[in-house]
Amino acid sequence: MSRHLLRFNVNGHDHALVVESHERLLDVLRDRLGLKGTKEGCSTGDCGICAVIMDGRLVNSCLVLAIQARNKKITTIEAVGTAEDPHPLQREFIKWNAAQCGFCTPAMILASKNLLDNNPSPTDQEILEAIRGILCRCTGYYSFVRAVKAAAQEMRKSGIEDHP
Amino acid sequence: MYVPEDVNDLLSYLDNYQDTQLIANGSDLINRIQRGQVKPRTLVDLSGLSEFNYVRSSKGTIRIGSLTTIQDLISSPLLGRRYDVFRDVARIFGGPSIVNVATVGGNICAASSSEDLIPVLLVLNAKVKLMSKRGDRLLDLEDFLIGKRQTALRPNEVLTETMFDEIDEQSACAFEKIGIRNSLIIALLNCSVYLKLSANRDIGAIRIATNRVSGKIPSRAKSTETELMGKPLTKETVERSITTLKNELQLSSDFRASKQYRHEVAPVLFKRTLIKCSERLGEKLDV
Repeated sequence: MSRHLLRFNVNGHDHALVVESHERLLDVLRDRLGLKGTKEGCSTGDCGICAVIMDGRLVNSCLVLAIQARNKKITTIEAVGTAEDPHPLQREFIKWNAAQCGFCTPAMILASKNLLDNNPSPTDQEILEAIRGILCRCTGYYSFVRAVKAAAQEMRKSGIEDHP
Repeated sequence: MYVPEDVNDLLSYLDNYQDTQLIANGSDLINRIQRGQVKPRTLVDLSGLSEFNYVRSSKGTIRIGSLTTIQDLISSPLLGRRYDVFRDVARIFGGPSIVNVATVGGNICAASSSEDLIPVLLVLNAKVKLMSKRGDRLLDLEDFLIGKRQTALRPNEVLTETMFDEIDEQSACAFEKIGIRNSLIIALLNCSVYLKLSANRDIGAIRIATNRVSGKIPSRAKSTETELMGKPLTKETVERSITTLKNELQLSSDFRASKQYRHEVAPVLFKRTLIKCSERLGEKLDV
């Protein structure tokens, strides 16, 4: 077992901590930094529930060793909106009932945000492609498409560009 | 885990230490470690060696660095419409959070029977470059893959590059797969075809690969290729070749599908892939 100094940036804050080789990014985010918004699902890369954004790309945090996140910029759900001022995606998810049990919601929001950051006017097909790696057992997926489309429209109208 | 500073440091480390396991971005390996299928003493982390992330084209050869992800591959301006075969693979390879991470080198070295990229690289006649402190080796991908989860990679070597000849205007390549859901599926069977038309639009060259030609090893269906070579691209030619294809495939059963099922779907999958290839060359094939 070897230990490493991990320096990385999470939600705009620089962190330096000592991690062991076997620790996953998911473990460090949840257990060391207390960011419990990122959920653990299957831990095998099949369900996509633990997705976070790493250097602008969606990744499964269960399949990234913590030390491999060195010098990277990580965005978790904690950086998206607040209770007082939710992100347009969060507002539309509520409006369109796109969150039921809520377990996949952080990953769905991040996948949708990652899509809209790169493509402000996605088609239904592009939205389905963007979220297809994430399993939801409640909604049947179409409420996500409606919510993401509505959020995209709102963001285009108000000129919101957000790249934390 | 050892984190090498650069390529030289990596090669020296691999030359000096035994029982090491290379890790690229980990999307396959982390799972296998968690299941106890791989028990490495030391992981050697390649993920920081950004010099291995590239797609280049020179003198009619495409060169792909090992750390190039599937997403990098399909975003490369050098791999345009003629290489839509890589988009065929990416579409069913996994969700964005896998495609963003899984690497070309990692896929080849994982040498799993369900890898979707390997049959495509086989029909492109790809070669792999292996580097070590003792010198480099260049191997045909076909010879690099020696069994299920087994490759010709020596303990002191690292696979750094995959290369193949560029596809010309008379040629096309396609990929199809059968699985039990639409995304994130592990292939029950997959198929890739490279087709080159001759001046009179006959089959000038054809290469066919599936992930399970012989047992669980991805390889080429060479008898079927030989039978089709030089023939007109017609329904009759293709139908006649199906018997050879069925005889050539030594399919096996596992928990994903039975041998009999795989035998039934293999010709269908082959025809679908061939139709897609023909369409890319502006030909209508009615099979």
